[in-house]
Amino acid sequence: MTTLLPRWRLKPVAIGGAHLARPVAWAMVGLLVVVTLVALFARTLAPYDPIQPVGALNLPPLSPGHLLGTDGIGRDLLSRTLIGIQVSWLSALVVVASGLLIGGVIGLIAGATGGWVDSLLLMRITDLFLALPGALVAIAIVAALGSGLTNTLIGVALVWWPYYARIVRGEVKSLAARPHVEAARLAKAGRWRILTRHLLPGVVPTAVITASLDIGNVVLLLAALSFLGLGQQAPAPELGADTARTLSQLLSQWWVPGIPGMAVLLLTLIANVGGDAIRSLIPVRR
Amino acid sequence: MSEGTEGAVTPVAVVEDFSVSLVRNGVRNQVLHHVDLQIRPGEILGLVGESGSGKSVLALGLLGLLPPESHPVTEGRISVGGVDLLHAGRDELRRVRREVLGAIFQDPMTSLNPTMRIGRQIGEATGDDAESVRLLETVGVRDAERRLRVYPHELSGGLRQRVMAAIAVADKGDATTTRQRLIVADEPTTALDVTVQAQLLDLLRELRDDFGCSVLLITHDLGVADQIADRLAVLHHGELVEVGVAADVVRRPQHDYTRSLLASRLTLTTPRDERFAGPQADADAAVTVRGLTKTFGVGRGRRRHEITAVDGVDLDIASGEALAIVGESGSGKSTLLRIVAGLERPTSGSVELAGDGEPQMVFQDAGSSLTPWLSIGETLGERLRGLKLPRDEVRQRVVEALAAVDLPPEVAKARPGELSGGQRQRVGLARATMIPPAVLLCDEPTSALDASLAKSVLALIRDLRARIGMTVLFVTHDLAVARLMGDRIAVMQSGRVVELGPAEQVVSEPQDPYTRTLLAAVPEIAS
Repeated sequence: MTTLLPRWRLKPVAIGGAHLARPVAWAMVGLLVVVTLVALFARTLAPYDPIQPVGALNLPPLSPGHLLGTDGIGRDLLSRTLIGIQVSWLSALVVVASGLLIGGVIGLIAGATGGWVDSLLLMRITDLFLALPGALVAIAIVAALGSGLTNTLIGVALVWWPYYARIVRGEVKSLAARPHVEAARLAKAGRWRILTRHLLPGVVPTAVITASLDIGNVVLLLAALSFLGLGQQAPAPELGADTARTLSQLLSQWWVPGIPGMAVLLLTLIANVGGDAIRSLIPVRR
Repeated sequence: MSEGTEGAVTPVAVVEDFSVSLVRNGVRNQVLHHVDLQIRPGEILGLVGESGSGKSVLALGLLGLLPPESHPVTEGRISVGGVDLLHAGRDELRRVRREVLGAIFQDPMTSLNPTMRIGRQIGEATGDDAESVRLLETVGVRDAERRLRVYPHELSGGLRQRVMAAIAVADKGDATTTRQRLIVADEPTTALDVTVQAQLLDLLRELRDDFGCSVLLITHDLGVADQIADRLAVLHHGELVEVGVAADVVRRPQHDYTRSLLASRLTLTTPRDERFAGPQADADAAVTVRGLTKTFGVGRGRRRHEITAVDGVDLDIASGEALAIVGESGSGKSTLLRIVAGLERPTSGSVELAGDGEPQMVFQDAGSSLTPWLSIGETLGERLRGLKLPRDEVRQRVVEALAAVDLPPEVAKARPGELSGGQRQRVGLARATMIPPAVLLCDEPTSALDASLAKSVLALIRDLRARIGMTVLFVTHDLAVARLMGDRIAVMQSGRVVELGPAEQVVSEPQDPYTRTLLAAVPEIAS
C-alpha cells in the first residue's frame, strides 16, 4: 500500500521566467566553484610576482610572456588581476558569510522570541542600520578605523547583516505560525529543539538564496570602496584600486585600467548568474 | 453503456475516446484512458471519483485549460458547442469560453481575484453594472448592489461560490435564447458547510431550470451527486467504469468500484461500534470545562471589534468517553479544542484535565502538522526523547508505533511530502498515541480525505481508543462521522453548545431547531 515517491525530484527550473534545464543551472553553479578555486589558488596560477616590475612598460594584451600585458611600471597584468580576484572574491564571501551568521542569529532569536526582544530591541537596531545608506556608513566606519583591507571588511560586514536579520526573522515568524510547530510543542519538544530542528532548516533555503544573490553586490561595493581609496593599500593589487589609479591611461593604454575593471564586471556577473541558478535549484517549501 | 438514442438532440459537449497523459514530477503519467462521454443540453451530469481518478483533468480538458506546464499529450476528441477544444486556435477557444462555458471551482477564494472588487470581476463578463446586479440577484445574492463594491475576502464561502456562478452564467445570452451553455463545477461544495452546500446545489438546479444550462458536477460524494444529477459517470483510475441514470447507478450499481464507493459512504445509518457502551455512570471526569469564553479582536483602529468564538461553554467528559463536537465553520468548535489542548488561552473560564494533563492532538491538515524536512522516524522519535532511551530502542518503538497504525517500517525513512494524505494522517495518529495519552483531541482529522480513506482512519481511531482506553474529543462538521465516533454528541452554534446528548438520540430525535437544520442538509441516498 505504500507508494513512496522519489526523494529528489528532477524538475525544470525557471530563470528570468524562462524554463531552464537543470544541467544548465548546475553549470552556472559550477562557474561559482571555478571562480572560488581560481581565487584560492591565485598565487600558484599567477605567472609572476604581482608587485615587482617584470617586463617592458605598457605591453598590450597577448604580448609574448604576458598574456594580458603589463602596466605603466612593467608589472604583469594577469598576475595582478588573479590576485585582485582572490582579494575581491574571498572578501565578498567573508562579508556575506559573516552577514549571514550575525543576521541569521539575530533574526532567528527575534523571530522565535517575539515580544519586546523582537519589536523593541533587535528590529529597531536593524531599522537604524537599514535607514542609513550602507555604503556611506561603511565609508564612515573605515574612516574611523583607518583604511586597509581588514577595516574595509569590518565596515562592510557591519552594514551588511541587517538585511539577513530581517529576512530570517520574517521567515521564522511565518514558519512559527504553522501547525507543525504547534504539533512539535504538543509533542513536548523543547524550545531549543523547536528552534534548531523545526524552524532553522526551513529558513536555510531562503537565507542561502538571498546570500548567493548578494555576493555580486558585495564584490561591487568592495571594488567601489577601493576605487575611492578605502581598501588594499598600494602596491598590493586590488581590482577597484588598480582601475582607479590608472584611469588616466584609459585613452592611451586602455587595457591597464580596463582589465581589472572587466574582472570586476565578470565577477559580479558570475555571482549573479550563479546565485540565480542556486535559487532555481533549491526548492523553497511553502 | 449506451448513450441513448435521442438522435435529434445535439449534445453540448462530446468527449470521444479521450486519453491524456501529463508530466508530474518529471514522470509522464497516463491520467485518462479512452473516455467517452456526452453532456446533453439541460442535463446535470454528475462525475464521481476519488482523488487521483482524473476527474479534475477531464474538467480542465472540457474547459480547454489542460496545464501546458505538464506537457499534456492527448488522443481522441473533446468538442464543446461544436468546437474541437484540443485543436482550436486561441480566438476560437476564447469565443467558446465566453459564449458556452462557465466554471465554478472548489476554492472560490483562489479563483476570484483578491485585488479586484466583485463588481469589476463580474463586469468583465457582463460589461455593465445593471446586468451584474441582475445576475447576482438571480443567483440568490441579497443586497446585490452593495456587494458589487466589496472584495472577495469580505464575502463568505457560500457567497463567493454564488459570485463564481454569476460569472459562469454571464454573457451566455438570456434565458430565452436557445444557445447551448455548459457549467463545469469542480467540487464546488467541498469547502462549504452542509447547509450552504444544500443552497449551492439548489442554485445549480436553478441554473439548469432558469438558464437552461447543462451542468457537469464533479464530486467525490455520491450522496451529493444523487441529490441533483440526472445521470452519473463514475471515474476510476482514469477510466469511465459506469455511466447511467443517477438513480440506477446509485441503487443498482453495475461495477464493483461503484459498489465499493457506495459501501465506503458514511451515513446516519452506518452500524455503530458495539465495543463502546458509552460512559459508565461512576467514571471519573477526564475533562471538565467551566464557563469557557474566548474572544478575538479583529480589525484595526475604528473598525476594531471583538468576535466571541466560544461563549460560555460547560462540558463534563468522563474518563474513557468519546465526545463528538459538531458544528459549522465559525461555530467555535476548533477554538474550543485548541483551548483544551493548551494552544490558546481562554479569555475566561477554566479547563481541567485529569491525569498527567497532557492531551495529544490530531490535526485537520496532517501534511502541515508534520515538519516537512524531518523524516517520519525523527518526528516520531521526538516523542520519546524525554525517556532517554538508547537509539536502538527508539527505532524499535517507532517501528511499533507505525505498525499500530498499519504503516510499514520503511515509512520511518520517508519525509511527509513523500506520503499520501491518508498515510500522513496515520503518522499524525501514531505520534499522538505512541505514548498513550489520557485525552486524545481530534480536529476534523478526516475532512480532507476520500470517503474510503476516511472510513479506515476513523476505524483506526476507534481501534486505538479500544486498545488504550483513552478519552476522545472529536471535532467534526459531519453529523454522520460524529454519530460514529462519539458516545455523545455536542452540537455547537455561534460559540454555544445548543444540544448535548447520546449520539443516537441526537441524530434520531434532535431537540434543537439548529440540529434539525443540520440533519436535513446532510445529503442522504434514499433507498
